[in-house]
Amino acid sequence: MATEAFGTRLQRYRAASWWPTAATLVIAELGLGAALLIPITFSDPNGVDPFLARLSIASVLIALPSLVVQRLQAARPILLALAAVATTYTLLSAGPQILFDLFGARSGSFDEQVFWASVAQAVGTLLIAVVAWRTVAPDWRPSLRMRHLGFGGLAAAVIGSAVLIGLGLALPAGLLGRVALQPVALGRDFPLLGPANALQAFSQEVQFRGLLLGALERTMSPRWANVCQAAVFGLAHLAISYGGPEAPFVPITFLVGLALGWLVRRTNSLWPAVIIHAVADIALQFGIVQGLYGF
Amino acid sequence: MGSDRLSRRVTLVAAVCVALATLLIGSAPARAADAWWSPVALLGTSVTRVSAIGDAITVRTGKGATLVSTDGGKTFASAPAATRIPPLNVVTVGKETWEIDPAGRVLHATGTAANGTPVVDPGSPDLGRGAALIAAPAALPGVVVAVSTDGTVWRRGEDGDWKQALLLLPASLVQGVPRVTSIAAFTEPLTGAIYLGTDGYAVLVSTDGGDDWIRAGPGLSDSVYSLSAGSARHAVYAGTSNGLWEHVLQALPHPPAYQDAQLVWRWLGIGAITLVASAAALLGMMRLAPRRLAP
Repeated sequence: MATEAFGTRLQRYRAASWWPTAATLVIAELGLGAALLIPITFSDPNGVDPFLARLSIASVLIALPSLVVQRLQAARPILLALAAVATTYTLLSAGPQILFDLFGARSGSFDEQVFWASVAQAVGTLLIAVVAWRTVAPDWRPSLRMRHLGFGGLAAAVIGSAVLIGLGLALPAGLLGRVALQPVALGRDFPLLGPANALQAFSQEVQFRGLLLGALERTMSPRWANVCQAAVFGLAHLAISYGGPEAPFVPITFLVGLALGWLVRRTNSLWPAVIIHAVADIALQFGIVQGLYGF
Repeated sequence: MGSDRLSRRVTLVAAVCVALATLLIGSAPARAADAWWSPVALLGTSVTRVSAIGDAITVRTGKGATLVSTDGGKTFASAPAATRIPPLNVVTVGKETWEIDPAGRVLHATGTAANGTPVVDPGSPDLGRGAALIAAPAALPGVVVAVSTDGTVWRRGEDGDWKQALLLLPASLVQGVPRVTSIAAFTEPLTGAIYLGTDGYAVLVSTDGGDDWIRAGPGLSDSVYSLSAGSARHAVYAGTSNGLWEHVLQALPHPPAYQDAQLVWRWLGIGAITLVASAAALLGMMRLAPRRLAP
């Protein structure tokens, strides 16, 4: 009886416009979550566990069929967005080592390697965004909102950045590890790591508030689309801080994702979110003193 | 028919359980690193000064008692009346002596007291009248770190260039900036590490002459009043609001090493889970996606 009721409900849901993207997002997240988290039971996140590599492989395995299977077309931008998140972050993380392996001492300082890895992340993200935009029917195309930045958007970016930094300073120092500034390190690293952090912020905004939010909006209400992308943004930080105290990071990044998604919709531009995200990443890079275990 | 299906399910679940148990049993747990800080003595007592010279550890408690231990801190006895804890504003490394004079200038003398006349170090900052915290690691000749009265940490590079190295940030909106209470480095060339004690952020450590710092106080009270590097015992002693603690020199935490065979099993398990999770997600999407798409 209950099975019949569930079956009937499922049929009704499957006819809804939001179903293809929502179902795909949930199932893909479950698959990626399983690939990321189950091996924790027998692996060591600080040592031999190649968690980013396996997350990338899983995301590509899940996304590739959507390029050829017609019934997955509506979900294609979403699956490509998830693949962009995982693969380009892996590229960013492994980039310095790859550059050193390829060019040895000619690969430059670590800061230079991180900068070029960030460039690679941005280029990879843009390439995937182009694929997502060009290979789906116009009705499914995500709106990337990269065309303009008005005065209102710029003002929102400045105010948003100030609010975020103010909140960071208001929080107890121990929560974030923002105990001190290191002027020598800042002067040495800023010329390369500042732009690198801005590029990383740009990549993530294209992935989450561009591709993902833009694709979800095609099939569901803006509010639900924003909640969904913010949830994925929060969960993605499980992987970023995999070896660290990840639990408190998810709700914080979920709320930040909600706010940035709202701002993108409100200003109809991705750039305010890019600017705020870049300011936040740069502040985190230079205002946080790392701990013994990297966090 | 029903019992066959049940039997198959039980077999499947059992197989999965056995496979997971094999992986868990076969994998060696990561060896926990030695504690970074360990309690030595006087827990529950505030220790405001500590000095480790040779075999003797001399401490002064918050109540004004001066105690001395000659057995590594196992037992403490009242110190003789003539016991003097060395001043904090002078450090001698080999033939080099660095001193903060009462006006807050850094003086440098080379050679013995008889033939080495202290001179103001060129380019040294004005630390402010009453500044009295200075350290020089023997492993990094020429490097000096000193603290000004406003809490700014300055470092002198091996090339003689003085720069601001660390600016503590407020602990929260109401608590203000924690006080720098102490600074220590080994006067024998054991390590180039420089330890900074604070009343609020425990201990920060720099291993590159003061350019980069990390938080290194896990296990320790946030209120550290005094630090002393004891070359004879290869240990740093911390006088805190909760007794005397010790950090025995050790490498920074690093990933544990595993045997090759264990690695192979781990990687096989990780790969299998990645594939299964991806395939399951893909199958789920295919099953739940509507056969016809209508934008």
